[in-house]
Amino acid sequence: MPFVDVRGLFHRYPGSPVHSLSDVSFQVEPGEYLAVLGANGSGKSTLVRCLDGLAEIESGSARVGGLDPMNADELAELRARTGLVFQSPADQLVASVVEEDCAFGPENLGLPREEIARRVASALEAAGLSAERSRPAWALSAGQQQRLAVAGALALEPELLLLDEATAMIDPPGRTGFLDLIERLNSGGTTVIHVTHSMEEALRARRVLVLSGGRLSFDGAPAELFERPELEAWSLSRPASLEAARRVRVAFPDFRPAGSAPADFRDELARLARIFGAAPAVPRAGPSNPSNPSIPSDAAPVDPPRDDDALVLDKVVHEYLGGTELAKLALDGASLRAGKGELVALVGATGSGKSSALQHGNALLAPSSGSVRVLGLDPAAKGADLKALRSRAALAVQRPETALFETCVGDDVAFGPRNHGLRGKPLVERVRSAMERVKLPYAEFRDRPVRALSGGEKRRAAMAGVLALEPELLLLDEPCAGLDPGGRESALALQAALKADGRTVAVSTHSMEDATRADRVYVLEKGRVVAEGSPAEVFLGTEPPPGLERPWAAEASVLLWRAGLTSAPGALDAAALADEALAVLGAPRPGGVPRAAAEGSP
Amino acid sequence: MKDLEFFRNATLGQYVDSPSRVHAFAPLTKYLGLLALAAPALASRTTYAALAVMALGLLVALAAGVRPAFLLRGLKPALPALALIMALQILLSWPGDASAALLRLGPIDVTVAELANSARIAARLAALMVTLGLFTATASESQIVHGIEDILAPLSRLGIPAHRLALVVGIAFRFIPILAGEAELIVKAQASRGADFGSGTRNPFRRVKAWLPVLVPLMLRALERSESLVEAMEARGYSGGLRSRLASYPAGRGEKALRIALVLFGSLSVFLASRAPSPWGT
Repeated sequence: MPFVDVRGLFHRYPGSPVHSLSDVSFQVEPGEYLAVLGANGSGKSTLVRCLDGLAEIESGSARVGGLDPMNADELAELRARTGLVFQSPADQLVASVVEEDCAFGPENLGLPREEIARRVASALEAAGLSAERSRPAWALSAGQQQRLAVAGALALEPELLLLDEATAMIDPPGRTGFLDLIERLNSGGTTVIHVTHSMEEALRARRVLVLSGGRLSFDGAPAELFERPELEAWSLSRPASLEAARRVRVAFPDFRPAGSAPADFRDELARLARIFGAAPAVPRAGPSNPSNPSIPSDAAPVDPPRDDDALVLDKVVHEYLGGTELAKLALDGASLRAGKGELVALVGATGSGKSSALQHGNALLAPSSGSVRVLGLDPAAKGADLKALRSRAALAVQRPETALFETCVGDDVAFGPRNHGLRGKPLVERVRSAMERVKLPYAEFRDRPVRALSGGEKRRAAMAGVLALEPELLLLDEPCAGLDPGGRESALALQAALKADGRTVAVSTHSMEDATRADRVYVLEKGRVVAEGSPAEVFLGTEPPPGLERPWAAEASVLLWRAGLTSAPGALDAAALADEALAVLGAPRPGGVPRAAAEGSP
Repeated sequence: MKDLEFFRNATLGQYVDSPSRVHAFAPLTKYLGLLALAAPALASRTTYAALAVMALGLLVALAAGVRPAFLLRGLKPALPALALIMALQILLSWPGDASAALLRLGPIDVTVAELANSARIAARLAALMVTLGLFTATASESQIVHGIEDILAPLSRLGIPAHRLALVVGIAFRFIPILAGEAELIVKAQASRGADFGSGTRNPFRRVKAWLPVLVPLMLRALERSESLVEAMEARGYSGGLRSRLASYPAGRGEKALRIALVLFGSLSVFLASRAPSPWGT
């Protein structure tokens, strides 16, 4: 008997003319690990909420463990057997101390104190948070908070775990720990339904549902999904591992890595290389000889600033809340620069100082020590016109859509230029071109109420509000966070277009894949720059950037080199990796590195 | 841009972690201690009585490992209000004030009684602030919440929802940093778009209007985030009905005796203060 049984489910938000879920049917067996994918606004979160009785089912039925979420009497038991983890870690904390927060669920069940204590101890143990049990919950990192949310769900001893984009707001190291925890729980028998925007995470599931416009468009294995031609229409993308394998298969149809790990790609390539007789490029000295000849293993030399740089931070220290009990060093001697017309990416864990660095770029923050130069000006100089500077060096804060405040989209986009004195026709032109840039056609969206926009459209409207300033330097704080693959691709295309205009773009991101598109990457850790250089220098060195993982393709490329299959790692994306693999196998390719180069010894 | 660091102003009532005996008391005991000091501070009719309460509070602070300077610094934000009250005391004259005038400036005269009143008000306020500061320095957020539940527990038989009240207080605590963080982000977003928040205009209507770009999204975010929290609580089975609690604060015989002593001390000092002659002569 299926544990989750959904039949002909319809849902509509009050006042909305369209259904957010239409005729959705599927069954989930006990112990399954199911991923739910779909564009922003496709109904994924609504589906999860329907299962947990947080959203009202219009027609059709849903059963969890035979219980009906629409039946008030059964709902209490259903929730006692179901754990739900939401997107925002901080919004799920109920109590101020870790163990008390974890105890909230069992307390609601009215369990005896000893039983609560036992459950809390074992849930915190499973989530790896035993050492933090008496710490304040807000003092945990986002990744830890999200594991605490899982622990809070585990304390209910649930049979079903619902994850609603639960990894969207945590950094890569936190994400890995979180996903490993979920996988352990699933192998222990817990059924998992995981709503996500990450294609890599979908690969961890054995089965994937795709929602599109509220309808169930796909139900099957992930490998099958990523071969479907509708991927783009569903606003999904192919994970790098599958994309690279697919490209190799064009010439070598046998190429089928056993799994999606970089090592699987390497092993499969080594197998084919033996079959096709291509000799290893170098003696298999890779693993025992970790120094990479083509890339210096020590930190790249600091790039000296130049006079025409758009942004220079020189040994900047910034103490947040200096002089109070909560004082915290946000930046601890960070130096970085963005040359005119460059695209620069800042990566690093949450709290490493990325946002603070960007906020120095438009003088929202002033350094406690060190110096800043923005578009040739010193914001700390007496009489510096910060307002004018901020229109030339514009910042899009994290989740900029939260700052939308006008009723109509056009008015909100006009807020910036209007503050700088623009009126009449030039103002309209500014607004129009900014909106067109983010693909919100002016005629159509000018008078749209902001609250009627979807999440992705709100983000674009907020970006238009920043672009309307026509800045020379753009500071974008995690512009892709929370976007579906389609939205992310257009955000990246926008960054490239701004750079093509000759504007300078500095962007912070948690996605190493996004960072490979930059001209230069800075890796921050605890307020310091710990690595910098071109994406190739940062991601293809002998060691991954401190505290981070390489992008998938770069990791595979390094493994190929270590296995002696290539003479140097050189691929940052799936296409380049496939080219490397094809070169190893001796396939003729247009415009690639000649095979002889790949055979040269170090 | 220190004015953009919103947490800077949210330091009132900071918990000071210390391994002291005072910190180890149950929340209920701490609440009784708060009442035992705050009641006489409010009821005191002389400057000396208020100062004595304050001194007592500072002594307990020393025993708790909380620096008196830390508590006295908490008075700083109240100084402007205090100055205003004292100014009104001196500017307006009391009917039947027959005390000697020390200074005459046109229609204003500064009398001994006015100065004494000002001093007493200042002393009472200081005693109260020190007491409150001592309480929040020794009781953590969750103890404050649990204490409300414990102190109201006897009333729950009368239908007073002790747990719900405690939960409301707990959530209010949680939302202070959340809203401060949201406000900071929104202010930064709008400042980046060239907003200046009412600087340079004295027209109150215009000032409010200048803050609309912050207030509107802040309200929306507050609603959104409280809705998320409600969902998270419901998903974990919260229904507002009967529930149990993990945290428990068993009190030994000594602590129980202290509770009785605190209640007696509080009642007695209020009783004595009420018998003292009123300084206003009524």
